[in-house]
Amino acid sequence: MPGPPKPDTTTDPALVAAYRSGDERAAAELVRRHAGPLGRFLYSLGAEREDLDDLIQETLFRAFRRVESWRGGASFRSWLLAIGSNLLRDQVRKRRGKLVSLEDREIADGADPHADLAAVETGDRVREGLARLPRLQREVFILRAQEGSDYGEIAAVLGTTPGAARVHYHHAVKRLKELVR
Amino acid sequence: MSECGWLSDRIPAVALGRAEWTQQEVQHLSECRACQQEWEVVRAASRLGESLVPAADPEATAASVLHRLRRNREAGRRRRGAWGFAGFAAAAAVVAALWTGGADRQLDRGPEGASVVAGQLAIPLPELEILQPAELDSVLQMLDEPSAAAASADEPDLRDLNSDELERVLDSWEG
Repeated sequence: MPGPPKPDTTTDPALVAAYRSGDERAAAELVRRHAGPLGRFLYSLGAEREDLDDLIQETLFRAFRRVESWRGGASFRSWLLAIGSNLLRDQVRKRRGKLVSLEDREIADGADPHADLAAVETGDRVREGLARLPRLQREVFILRAQEGSDYGEIAAVLGTTPGAARVHYHHAVKRLKELVR
Repeated sequence: MSECGWLSDRIPAVALGRAEWTQQEVQHLSECRACQQEWEVVRAASRLGESLVPAADPEATAASVLHRLRRNREAGRRRRGAWGFAGFAAAAAVVAALWTGGADRQLDRGPEGASVVAGQLAIPLPELEILQPAELDSVLQMLDEPSAAAASADEPDLRDLNSDELERVLDSWEG
């Protein structure tokens, strides 16, 4: 007996169209695809670990609630990350700009303390440095470093120009290099 | 574009495993401290939060999000229904108000007629909210009937009045 169609072989725009037509499995597949990267993105932007699940869920909920507004100008994921970023910004604002204390952050379970130490330290410094960057620099940098987005897409998502996005990226890199040095 | 600039554009793709260095790029990277630092920073950033991925169970997240979306849709439908009803009630209130205005003009007929009309209009509008659509139709019909009667009764009377009587009617309306 043939089973239901496999949504994981479908493109994001097709899944979004299916969800708009009432197929909840399409939404579930989109969540499976993007929840992880969304969590990493929010964490990199400074979200606290214990807030991540709530932030991910709220971002996805808001995205699907107004999925009609996604026109496909940027990828679904980039659009999702932009919603998550706005949500995180609101949360930080409510907490009066409280930034993540990296001293409180646990090192990942199962990490080899010797082999990964340098990478973890660099990662910590980068994350700490990101928290100090202006918002646009931080978001441009993470979209490029974690998603590999080009400047055109970043500009579309963040409401800036590709040229400005490039400048933000290079400013971010310059400042992060100073911290890691 | 300088070699550093070229490399800078390529670093994210290589850090994410979507591209590989060419021999020439490897050579430049081994000699350029600035590019090495950039590579280190971008690679570290590309891996930030990797260990967190399993923390959020996508299946549970999907179920929870879909549940919230269903609830939200239902709440939206209820809100739309409530707004529709509120609009209907508001329309009924407007009709009632207009009709009351018509009744006010009948005050020259004497207090008895006015009190009868007022009695007919004593519809507690807030209670409209508990009425079913069919009951609301009845209310509207009830409002329509005396209004039509009043209009038909009003016009010949006014036409029959002479100018002094009309003046008195106007005075009585103006208080």
